Amino acid sequence: MIAGLTKAERQLSLAVLTVLALCGLAFAAIGRNDPIGTHGFIILLVAIGVACVVIAGYYAPEPDKEQLSRYYDDPTRVGIILSMAWAVFGLFFGVWVAALLAWPELTFDAGWASFGRIRPVHTTGVIFGFGGNALIATSLHVLQRTTRARLPDQFSPWFVLIGYNLFCILAVSGYFMGLTQSKEYAEAEWYADIWLVIVWVVYFLIYIRTLQRRKEPHIYVANWYYMAFILVVAILHIVNNLAVPVSFGHAKSYSLFSGVQDAMTQWWYGHNAVAFFLTAGFLGMMYYYLPKRAGRPIFSYRLSIISFWGIVFMYMWAGSHHLHYTALPQWVQTLGMTFSVVLLVPSWASAGNALATLNGAWGKVRDDATLRFMMVAAVFYGLSTFEGSFMAIRAVNSLSHYTDWTVGHVHAGALGWVAMISFGSIYALVPWMWNRERMYSSKLVELHFWLALAGTVVYVFAMWNSGIIQGLMWRTYNESGTLAYSFIDSLVAMHPYYIARTLGGLLFLLGALVGCYNIWMTIRQAGGRLVFQGPEVDKPALTPPALQAGE
Amino acid sequence: MPNFHRKLERSAIGFVVAIVVVASIGGFVEIAPLFTIDETVEKAPDMRVYTPLELAGRNIYIREGCYACHSQMIRTLRDEVERYGPYSLAVESQYDHPMLWGSKRTGPDLARVGGKYSDAWQVAHLRNPRDVVPVSVMPAYRWLEDNTLRTEDLGLHLKAMSRVGVPYTQAMIDNAPADAYGQANPDTDFAAGVAERYGEATNIRAFGGKPGQVTEMDALVAYLQILGKLTDAATASNVAAKAE
Amino acid sequence: MDLDYQTVVAFSKSWGLFYMIALAIGVLVYTFWPRNKKRFDQAKKSILDKDDKPWN
Repeated sequence: MIAGLTKAERQLSLAVLTVLALCGLAFAAIGRNDPIGTHGFIILLVAIGVACVVIAGYYAPEPDKEQLSRYYDDPTRVGIILSMAWAVFGLFFGVWVAALLAWPELTFDAGWASFGRIRPVHTTGVIFGFGGNALIATSLHVLQRTTRARLPDQFSPWFVLIGYNLFCILAVSGYFMGLTQSKEYAEAEWYADIWLVIVWVVYFLIYIRTLQRRKEPHIYVANWYYMAFILVVAILHIVNNLAVPVSFGHAKSYSLFSGVQDAMTQWWYGHNAVAFFLTAGFLGMMYYYLPKRAGRPIFSYRLSIISFWGIVFMYMWAGSHHLHYTALPQWVQTLGMTFSVVLLVPSWASAGNALATLNGAWGKVRDDATLRFMMVAAVFYGLSTFEGSFMAIRAVNSLSHYTDWTVGHVHAGALGWVAMISFGSIYALVPWMWNRERMYSSKLVELHFWLALAGTVVYVFAMWNSGIIQGLMWRTYNESGTLAYSFIDSLVAMHPYYIARTLGGLLFLLGALVGCYNIWMTIRQAGGRLVFQGPEVDKPALTPPALQAGE
Repeated sequence: MPNFHRKLERSAIGFVVAIVVVASIGGFVEIAPLFTIDETVEKAPDMRVYTPLELAGRNIYIREGCYACHSQMIRTLRDEVERYGPYSLAVESQYDHPMLWGSKRTGPDLARVGGKYSDAWQVAHLRNPRDVVPVSVMPAYRWLEDNTLRTEDLGLHLKAMSRVGVPYTQAMIDNAPADAYGQANPDTDFAAGVAERYGEATNIRAFGGKPGQVTEMDALVAYLQILGKLTDAATASNVAAKAE
Repeated sequence: MDLDYQTVVAFSKSWGLFYMIALAIGVLVYTFWPRNKKRFDQAKKSILDKDDKPWN
C-alpha cells in the first residue's frame, strides 16, 4: 500500500503521524489522572503503529506514471474490510445489549459491560464504524468513476480513512470507560469531536478537489447525495457538539446549550444524522450501485433531482417530532410534524425510482442475491420512511414515543435499508476491486441475504408488538378511572419480545459473519498481489465469464 | 435559470454553497427563536443550581448511560401526569448542560423521582435492582459503593458550568470539594457551608450510608433525590393535566 | 425594535414559507426545463460505460 504513495507523501505521512503521536503523548501526560490519559496512549499507539507500516514500506519504489494515471482504489479496498469488521463488532454488541434486557445478569458484574455503556458501543459501532466506513469506501469509488478523474493525491484518502477509524476507536473505547456526552449518536467527547472535524475537512477537500478535476461535465446525482452527506454532517456535528471541557486534562465537557435549546439542538442533530448520514449517503450508494448492478439506467433522473432537493430541504425541519408533548413550544412541534409528513413525498420518490429501475429486470433480482439486497433495501426504505412520517404525527407519537416501537422503526431503517444497501453495494464492489469475476460463492451471498432478511423481520415484528403493547398498557385505565397497569406490569409483558429481538439480531449477525467469510475467500481466491488488467477491468453485472487471472 | 443552475453545478463550490444554504434554513428557523425563548418561559425564582455532590452524581448518571433507559421529561398527557407527577416545564432543565430528557423508557421516567423513595431503598436498588424489584432488568451497580468519589477537581467542573451560563458564585467554586464532602457527612464541620451556599432546603445526609467518606453511591443518590425538586414551579403553577 | 421572541418567530414562519415555495419552484423549473433533458439522459446512462480508466 505504501508503494502507491510518492516519496513526498510518505514523508508527509510521517510528519503528520509525528504530530499525532505528540498530541497523544501530551494527552497521556496532562491527563494521567483522568481517562483522557488512556486515550492519549491509544492515540500514541495508533500513530506509532501506522508509522511502522509507513517506515517498512518507505524504500519501496515510487509509483510510476502508468499507475498514477489509473483510479486510486487502495483506500476503498481497506475501507471495505474495515467496514465489515465494524459490522461484526457492532452487531455483536447489538446482540449482547439486546440480550441484557432479557437476561440482565449478562453484565458479569463489570461496569464496562452494563447496558448504558455498551448501548452506545453498539450504535456507534454500526452507524459510524460499519456505515461510515462503507460510505467512505464507496464514495471514493463512485466519485472517481463518475467524474472520470483520479483522486487528487494519495495521502488524503488514507488520512481520512485512518483518521476516521481512530475517531471510532476513541469513541467506542471511551464508552467502555464511561466517557460520554450523553447526546445520542454524538456521545464522543470533545477531543474526539475536534479530531473528527479535521478529518471531515480533509474528506470534503478530497471531494471538492476531485470534482474540480472532473472530465465529465455533469456531476452525477450520486455525488450530490454524497456531498450533502459530507457537508450537512459537518454542520450538524459542529453545532451539536459545542461544549466547554472541564480542562485540557479532563475528558469531561459541559454542553454549551441547556434544557430546551439543548434538546432541540440534539434532536435537530439526531434526526438529521438519520437524514444525511443514514439516508443521503446511502442513497448516493443506491443511485450508483443499483443501476450498475442491474445494468440499466436509473428510471428517472429528473425524479432523483427533485427528491434530492426535497430531502436536503425538508429533513432539516423535522427534528422536533422527537419532542412532541414536551416542554418545547408547540409551534415548533407542529412545524416538525408537518414537514415530517411532507417528507414522505421525496422519500417515496427515491424508493419508487429505485424499484422502477428494476422493472424489466426482475429476472435478475430473482437470480442475483446482490441485486436483491438492494431491492429489499429500497422496499425497507419506503416502509420505514412511511412509518417515520406516520410516527411523527402527534397523536401517533403520544403512543409510540418512549416505547420499543421507536426502536423497531429505527431498526427497520438501519437493518432493512442501511445495512442491506451496504451489503449489496459491497458484494457488487468487492469483485471489481479485487479483479475477480464474481464473489467466491453466490450461495453464501444467498444465505447472507436470507439470514439478514429473516433477522430484520423477526426483530422489527418483535419491537412493533412490544412497543404498541407497552404504549397501550401505559395509558390503559380501569373502570374506577385509575391507571390499570404499573410500569413493572408492562416490563414483564416485554420479556418474550426481548428474547425474540435478540434472536433476530443474532440471525443478522450470523449473516454478516457469512459475508465476511465470503469476502475473505474472494480476496484470497487468486492469492498473490493485484495485477491490473488493462482498461476494461470493471465488468457490468452478470456478463458471461471471461478469462481472468486466478480462475 | 437553467443556465444559472448549470453554472452552479459546473463550479463545484457553488453547488456546495447551495446545499449548505438550503439545508441550514430549516435548522435556523426552528432553533434560532428558541434562544430568545427565555422571555416567554415561566419564571422560577426559587430555582437553585446543583450542589457539587449532585453535579458529580449527575455525571455518574451520564457516565453509566442511565439516560438510555430513563427519560426525564413528563409529557402533557393525562396518564403520564397521573403516573409520574406534574408535567415537566422548560425552566426545570435550564441548568441541565446537557439536558437528559431521554428518548426511551425501558425503565420509568425519573423527572420527579426525588424524594419518592428513601435513600436506603435507592442504595439497595442500585446495589442489585432485583433485590427490591424482582422482575427488574436494570443492571446492578455494586461497585458504586466501593468507588471513592473524585472530588478534588469539582471546582473545575463548577467553573466550566459557570462558563456555559450556570450562576455558580466564586465561593461555590472555591469550596466545591469541601461542599461535596459536607453534603454527604452531616455531622462534620463542612456540612454548614453547604446549607449556607445552596439553601436550607438542601438534602444534607449520609446518602450512601457510609459516613466518613464520599462514594459514587453518595453522589448518585444525592442526584436522584433532587430530581424534580430544584424548583416548585411545576407544582406551584398548579398545572392540570392537559390530556388530549 | 429589538429581537424579541415574537419577532423572531414571525420572521421564521413567514420567510421560511416564502423560501420554501421559491425553492420548490426553482427546482421544478430546473428539472423540467426542456433543454436539460439531453444532459440528464446522458448522465443517467454515463455510469454504465464499461471503461475503467480516468479520462485524460
